[in-house]
Amino acid sequence: MSASSSESTASESLSGDSAAEVAVGPTAERSSNTFFGDVWVNFKRWNLKAVRNPFVLVVSLVQPIIFLFLFTEVFGNVAGEAVNRGIPGITYETYLVPAIAIQVALAAAITSGVGLVNDIENGMYEKVLVTPMNRTAVFVGKTASEVFRIGVQITIILGLGALIGAEIATGVMGALGIIGVGILFSLWFVAFSNTLAILTRDQESTIIGANLLQFPLLFLSSAFLPLGILPGWIQTFARLNPVTYGVDAARSLMLGRDVMTVIELTRFQSVLDGVVPGVAVLAAVDLVFGAVAVYLLSRASSSDVK
Amino acid sequence: MSSPESDPVGAPSHDGHRPDVNGSTVAEGERAIDIENLQVTYADGTEALRGVDMVVPEGEFFGFLGPNGAGKTTTIKVLATLLAPTSGAVRVNGFNVRAESQQIRESIGYMAQETSIDPELTAQENISFACEAYGVPRGERAQRVSDLLDLVDLTDVADKTAEEFSGGMQKRLDAATALVHQPPLVFLDEPTTGLDPKARNRLWEYFRRINNRGTTIFLTTQYLEEADQLCNRLSVILNGEIVVEGSPADLKRRVGGEILDVEIDTGGGAVDRSVAIATAFEPFADATVERTETGISVTAETARTHGTELLVALRDKGITVTGFNIRAPTLDDVFLAITGEHIEPEQAADEEVSR
Repeated sequence: MSASSSESTASESLSGDSAAEVAVGPTAERSSNTFFGDVWVNFKRWNLKAVRNPFVLVVSLVQPIIFLFLFTEVFGNVAGEAVNRGIPGITYETYLVPAIAIQVALAAAITSGVGLVNDIENGMYEKVLVTPMNRTAVFVGKTASEVFRIGVQITIILGLGALIGAEIATGVMGALGIIGVGILFSLWFVAFSNTLAILTRDQESTIIGANLLQFPLLFLSSAFLPLGILPGWIQTFARLNPVTYGVDAARSLMLGRDVMTVIELTRFQSVLDGVVPGVAVLAAVDLVFGAVAVYLLSRASSSDVK
Repeated sequence: MSSPESDPVGAPSHDGHRPDVNGSTVAEGERAIDIENLQVTYADGTEALRGVDMVVPEGEFFGFLGPNGAGKTTTIKVLATLLAPTSGAVRVNGFNVRAESQQIRESIGYMAQETSIDPELTAQENISFACEAYGVPRGERAQRVSDLLDLVDLTDVADKTAEEFSGGMQKRLDAATALVHQPPLVFLDEPTTGLDPKARNRLWEYFRRINNRGTTIFLTTQYLEEADQLCNRLSVILNGEIVVEGSPADLKRRVGGEILDVEIDTGGGAVDRSVAIATAFEPFADATVERTETGISVTAETARTHGTELLVALRDKGITVTGFNIRAPTLDDVFLAITGEHIEPEQAADEEVSR
């Protein structure tokens, strides 16, 4: 402290300021925050963190981009022929881009749980619990930031895909549809990675657990090759794998025709026959995984003794 | 040095009047914390708190001491609405911790034992986030952030991410974020652990200032000197129960007299013999005798008047006295007398009490 004179100046200016606060009081002052205000505050925080965190960027964007280029370059000719046997007249680039869009969603979803674990480890989780922010809004804001990021990243993938020759038959509406499918797809894995985070409360276990699942889920699905040419056991697994439903719905939008492999629907006589079953299955899977994650999250943030 | 013209750690109000946060009776409003028979039993059967009673009047600088695992952090977590009491009545700022936790969260600041900041955000962003989380009015945020940065000496590194900070800088940043909304009551769970003396002194000054302006402070600490310097009143908790309460001066008086430390040549069982001599020494009828590393330590009402006689008695029995010191009791002596052990900051820093 410098001098006592500066002290007294400080108290004077202070009491002047706080005179206003007496009238308002802590509770009234606080009422400026709404549910959506709380969502926004957390949305902003997680966006900032995503930009700063190299893990987030590499895992959820760089890695899928590497896949996109390596797969099209290395397997393009061979896989292209196989694809053309089932769906004539399309390039492997066009076939692969929807799968990479789903991969982006999957990888970005892993970072959701990792973010939660980091928050628990560095004390921010508890710090936020002590604030008057609405707890649902806190979680919604964080998830909204992840969903937003997935949307941006799928857009980047679609743009890169177009650069290397992939075509979106359904145009801009189809592109928006693919982003929508990607986001809907991501939610169950967001929920799953948060579940892992709460159960393990450990960053490495969460990353390993979620990453370990990423590749089997992708390869044992219709993502990289048509199901028809894959071994029987893979086909069986693929029919139970949410990735198949996400990829087939996104791919139907990409190609402008029904390429849903598991569920045959002819009701709409359009691309919707390929999209609607996938969307329905994903929504159901989201609900189940989401319910588990919400239950665990609310238990973890409750003040009941454990 | 903080700028004199702007003070970020404002009092909840001026001239000692606090905003009437609960709107109920004055008597209740005067109690920042009111705990009756608080019990917390964890799911594994551990009885962390076994009937704690405590009243902290508004405006007090209250210190909460105890060995590790005694229940300090558990108590703070109940008060900060992070942990529900198993039984008992707990009111904070007049609000019930069970039914009115939201109102409590709006009217308290909380600094956890583990440094809690977002390492990926800059110092400035961390404080801004706290401002928004606590609903600091938009127009006041920028000023509040820059004042707090100045106060905790982080203005120069305001745009650096917190992961680049030293432990002390992170702790200071954490302290700043706990006070953005100028709460009438602040919980500080070992706020200066791991800080260098300069940083600690600066925080002390800061805590004193907000207390002088009427903010109630509930502090736990491992540093007895800190409690002695800062607190109006102390409570010591042991095995989930409050064992003693009073001002630092009161507590020191309870030690019963003054303390005579005697350093001796410790070879050949000299310490044992010295203990025996001191215990049997008649002028110190009420003495308690402790072994120390270098000799013995005698606590007695008459330590000052008859101390030299003991030294003579020791010499007569062939013990070589190499040094002595008569002093008033410190809080460490109080702590020793009550809990039977010295508080050990180093050891305490290693053992995380995260419950």
